[in-house]
Amino acid sequence: MTWLGGWLRELILVVLMAAFVEMLLPSKSMERYARLVLSLLVLLTMLSPIVSLLKGDAAKELSVAMVQQEQDGGLMSGAGKGAGSLEKILADGRRLAAGARERSLQLAAEEVAGQMREQIAGSTGVKGATVTVKLAMGKSSAGLGGDEVPVISSVTVSLPAAAGPSQTGSTGGDTDIAAGTEPIEIEPVAPVQVDIGGENADSAISATEAAASQADQSGADSTDGKAANNDTEAIIKLLEANWNLERELIRVVGSGADTGKS
Amino acid sequence: MEIIQVVGIGLLSTVLILVLKEQKPMFAFLLTTAAGILIFLFLIGKIGTILGTLERVAESSGMEMIYIKTVFKIIGISYIAEFGAQIVRDAGQESIASKIELAGKVLIMVLAVPIISIIIETVMKLLPA
Repeated sequence: MTWLGGWLRELILVVLMAAFVEMLLPSKSMERYARLVLSLLVLLTMLSPIVSLLKGDAAKELSVAMVQQEQDGGLMSGAGKGAGSLEKILADGRRLAAGARERSLQLAAEEVAGQMREQIAGSTGVKGATVTVKLAMGKSSAGLGGDEVPVISSVTVSLPAAAGPSQTGSTGGDTDIAAGTEPIEIEPVAPVQVDIGGENADSAISATEAAASQADQSGADSTDGKAANNDTEAIIKLLEANWNLERELIRVVGSGADTGKS
Repeated sequence: MEIIQVVGIGLLSTVLILVLKEQKPMFAFLLTTAAGILIFLFLIGKIGTILGTLERVAESSGMEMIYIKTVFKIIGISYIAEFGAQIVRDAGQESIASKIELAGKVLIMVLAVPIISIIIETVMKLLPA
């Protein structure tokens, strides 16, 4: 009995509202059309028990249909809305494409870094160097019709902290044997990035400090620094030759006395 | 007392428009439009009150909001179309005014499409296949 009461109340309200709204309408010319829609609403309210029996909630059906109609785009308001959604879709597409390009650049950079690491290990014997490659979209120097191609914007090679002693062990002779036999804990040197900008002095100082502390801890003499220097030079030459890179793009950090080569 | 204001604005603008029409018909049209907009703005608050009351009553009695929304859309479309059509008609463009009215009618009919489709679907389901 409750649903009957509810249905009756809704019906009365809709009829009342329809009568009220009909008075509110501004002109006679619109009245017929508005009356049609209002009478359809009254009819739907009357039918709503049957509709809910057959299809589900009538009002929900109606709201879903209305929303769908709005999204499909009606006459004039629909056209503007459609254009807006097209803009939105295009913007989404651009954003997704940019994201995909970013990811592919990252993957390519990792690949390139891996190859560089192997080449460094193969030709200079420095194992475990960390190579970080940054790729960016830019005009290629070859000039491929003005298209943007990925170019290597910077290469950072961080030599492992253990590279110094092992290198000197092979080149320096007996002076490092004591250091090699004693298990000395060497703190890994933090990667030092040297910019060619105004902060040059600071970084250089920190790098030399790092080099000095490393030299102290490993008990190596000055040949250590020189060997690392040679290593750095070799790595830079290798990368320059193999990857056709500018010298300014390559940074070798992490071992002693390398600051000048960045 | 707002009716006096509205009528006063209407009378005043009518006199001014009659005077201005001889000299500058263009400005007379602008004045007509401005007076129309002014009166409409006077009324729009009152219309809002009526519609707000309707909405509140419907909400408190548990009526479905989609019905109210449809009715409000009808009212809005008919007011806007009527207003625009009358301004254009004042400027002497009868054919454009009737096109605006036609657009209003069509848009009101578009609102009826989901309702009709639901009713027809229900009736079709009632019928034996």
